[in-house]
Amino acid sequence: MPGMNSGINVNAPAVVAAFKSALLHQAIIALLIFAVLGLAWITVRAWLPAAARTAEQAGPGGPPAAAVAEPAARQLLRVGFGLLWLFDGILQAQPKMAIGLPSQVIEPLAAASPKWVQHVVNWAGTTWSYHPMQAGASAVWIQIGIGVWLLAAAHGPLSRLAGLASVAWGLVVWVFGEAFGSIFAPGLTWLFGAPGAVLIYCFAGALIALPERAWHTARLGRLVLAGLGLFLAGMAVLQAWPGRGFWQGASRGTPGTLAGMTQTMAQTPQPHALSALLNAFTGFDEAHGFAVNLFAVAALAVTGGIFLTGRRRLIRPAVIAFTVLCLADWVLIEDLGFLGGLGTDPNSMLPFALLAFGGYLALTPAPSVADEPASATESASLEAAARGWQARFRPGYLRQSMATANFRSVAAVGAVGLIILGAAPMAAAQANPNADPILAQAIAGSTAQLNFPAKGFALTDQHGRTVTLASLRGKVVLLTFLDPVCTSDCPLIAQEFRAAGQLLGAASRGVELVAIVANPVYHQTADTQAFDRQEHLTQVPNWLYLTGTVPQLQQVWKEYGIAALILPAGSMIGHGDVAYVIDQNGHVRGELNTAPGPGTTATKSSFAVLLADAARQYLRPA
Amino acid sequence: MSRRTRLVSVLAAAAAVTAGCGTATPQPGAAASPAPPPSLATSLVTPTGTWAVAETGGSAASHNNFWQLFARPAGTTKWRLVTPPGVASNGGLVIATPGAGTVVAGFRPSQNLAYSPLATTYNNGAAWSPSLLDARLANVPAALAAAQGSGRLLALLANGTAELSSPGGTHWAPLATMRSLARSAAGRRCGLKSLSVAAFSPSGVPLLAGTCSHRRTAGVFALTGGVWRLAGPPFPAAMPGQPSRVLGLTVAGNRETALLAAGTGRDTTLLAAWSAGGGRWASSSPLPLGGSEVASVSIGPGGAVGAVLNGRAGVISGPGSAWQWLPFLPAGTQTLALGPRAQVDALAAAGATFTAWAWPPGSAGWAKTQTLHVPVQYGSSG
Repeated sequence: MPGMNSGINVNAPAVVAAFKSALLHQAIIALLIFAVLGLAWITVRAWLPAAARTAEQAGPGGPPAAAVAEPAARQLLRVGFGLLWLFDGILQAQPKMAIGLPSQVIEPLAAASPKWVQHVVNWAGTTWSYHPMQAGASAVWIQIGIGVWLLAAAHGPLSRLAGLASVAWGLVVWVFGEAFGSIFAPGLTWLFGAPGAVLIYCFAGALIALPERAWHTARLGRLVLAGLGLFLAGMAVLQAWPGRGFWQGASRGTPGTLAGMTQTMAQTPQPHALSALLNAFTGFDEAHGFAVNLFAVAALAVTGGIFLTGRRRLIRPAVIAFTVLCLADWVLIEDLGFLGGLGTDPNSMLPFALLAFGGYLALTPAPSVADEPASATESASLEAAARGWQARFRPGYLRQSMATANFRSVAAVGAVGLIILGAAPMAAAQANPNADPILAQAIAGSTAQLNFPAKGFALTDQHGRTVTLASLRGKVVLLTFLDPVCTSDCPLIAQEFRAAGQLLGAASRGVELVAIVANPVYHQTADTQAFDRQEHLTQVPNWLYLTGTVPQLQQVWKEYGIAALILPAGSMIGHGDVAYVIDQNGHVRGELNTAPGPGTTATKSSFAVLLADAARQYLRPA
Repeated sequence: MSRRTRLVSVLAAAAAVTAGCGTATPQPGAAASPAPPPSLATSLVTPTGTWAVAETGGSAASHNNFWQLFARPAGTTKWRLVTPPGVASNGGLVIATPGAGTVVAGFRPSQNLAYSPLATTYNNGAAWSPSLLDARLANVPAALAAAQGSGRLLALLANGTAELSSPGGTHWAPLATMRSLARSAAGRRCGLKSLSVAAFSPSGVPLLAGTCSHRRTAGVFALTGGVWRLAGPPFPAAMPGQPSRVLGLTVAGNRETALLAAGTGRDTTLLAAWSAGGGRWASSSPLPLGGSEVASVSIGPGGAVGAVLNGRAGVISGPGSAWQWLPFLPAGTQTLALGPRAQVDALAAAGATFTAWAWPPGSAGWAKTQTLHVPVQYGSSG
């Protein structure tokens, strides 16, 4: 209802049930993928016992540990970020996520960013909103897939590819889901999560994707820590920059930037102990804002400076102190990142701590494997590589690879299957320009079959001609009520009607698209004409926008159950978003709630499909 | 880490920090950008009362901000909420008066609306007559003007076009565009950069005003004999050079009152100017702003002018008087209301509360005179 903030609820039972069902079905397919891969692996190993023995000799988990022991730093990053992706994937499975992500996560994040960022982000939000079930499920499986892939693949090209997958998906999430980590918005600060948690996932993914020889010198560790040090030093300067509200704990009773943030976080739903902790910190910061910011600036600057020195002796305590700082920020300022609202990840502090530890561990070079004998799998891979990539797809090579593969490799291939499982339905859904009708059904609720005579009316159309319901007999009438100066829903509903007419094609000759003014103040034909021009309805031949005197309109509103309320203090008229389907005999046959969803244009085309279908149902052949 | 790597790192850090923070640093000597236009919060005085526009509610990003119109009938001390009904005011509200007790309010469109509903009252906001401008009003407090006597309206649009209505505001026609005015002889003399004010002269001549990039030229244009001519006040020698922006221009009776800002950054000064019957302009002494930006502008009876800056306000009571700094403003002050006998009210709004503070001339502080609950309908524009 315009003026009453109605629309689809993120907890809409129909959508939540559909999302759960989609996830369940895909989970069964995922299990099947792993089962088939496992069976194939066991079977091939039974057929090729010699190859399997070679693999077994290499050790239970794969090739000899001494030959290809993964560098500790790489292992930490791979396992750490694998677990984070896995956790993020699980968070994506929250029932509210399918509908709520665009309106409750993506668009609020972009609200403070420049227009071009909002444009990019809104495009993604709309794309998601058109197919929320497929998009929601794809995010779940892609993130779980990347997580499992990282955890399972410890060595070789498959492991490096997992790093690349992490970079690719991370960039998608950072741009569209985190609005570039809000780096273009005012108030950028490391304390709140700049430059966006997923950008750190990308950085870690890029490190995992590096050739393994890169880990065999201390250079990589120094570079990682220098880069992190540089970033922290920059963040220290930004934190110290005057006029951004961080030096003031509170001013004239208004909390400063940091206290304001933590105060807001404390108000989100979460365990009492955590909100009490946040409230205590807010109070402390309000009282000692200058000291808190001084500490933050000093901590960032000193840590950044030490990381830049590259001196292992200094870096060890600095990494420990930095980790403590990250954990304190994570609890006291970021509120664990995923509690309250619709959390999608645990925010930036755990990734930062992992990265710093990874950089520190990388200062100790991993032993070189240049002189070690190659494992059976590697030998096969090297031979195939020497013969060209086509050789990798020959049945003999595949059988050999399967027989010599270890359990982790099979799990990694299964993880790739999970990613495809998520991405494929979304890609297919993208081909359909119309939104998923389940959105409209969720808003409209169950539409009972109606059959009673529609109340007549005699009103004036946008051209000044009198139109009665009786004069429309013989046509299917799609009837709605629109406020010509409405700023939110009505223009969208008008576009739904216009799109419904286009979907009907030649059949639209038998359909009349009718709107009646729902505003007791602005109800002149000048108002309806301006609305038609704005919505490009002047060229729609079967569009009628009817109005009349206030008593005439009130009579029609009453008979069709519309309440057009004058709300005070600069609010628009509150009225119901509803559409009636009236058949060719003048009988009401259906009633649809046309309220568009919050913050999305998705339901526009979704309702167009529903409206067109409803009209077709009652069109008799001429 | 080698010395060379460290040096490169430090230089890169310095470059990154400079790049990251440089955007906020003023660029001396660069092409000067004039003072930004003031907010829509403003006030005006008619014979029947004082009118004020202020923003209430919450975040504009979530369409929870609601612009309100308040009126204080002449002879009374209490403000009333008189926002015209039937349309959302999230995009902003501008007001104009053709004199007597008539006030026209224009709603700036927001979200999916692309045109500007109008409403006119003849009885201090007790009842409103709706009408429509099929275009988007500009985001400046003087986007709408009403001619004394004729009932014609002049609207400055968001795209820089000015449209003139027939008497009664039923039909609108384009009068000028920013581009056509800039290309005119007067526009070239001024180096016109933008338009920010629509007004009528006491004799009903359409006036447009904006920002001039050329030295000591006030961008006030009058349409006489079908030709746009410069009609602004001269700049005193003490004023800085370019650019200059007209912040306000109103007509009451036979008197035109203008407020101009000249210069940039810390060199910005304010200048009030008055003209009686289209004759010579009399100017105030310049008021240096010391780097503060003008948040809102109010013009009162007798040529009184007030400007709200960052927490402070300067007022001048009319021709021949001097600028005066008021005591620090109460928190949340959006605009001033200038009443007769040099009385000044500071009008503050936060959330659903509107507060009026009075400053008796010569006193050291503000006295709260009224707190008004505004029935803001949060979420109604979602």
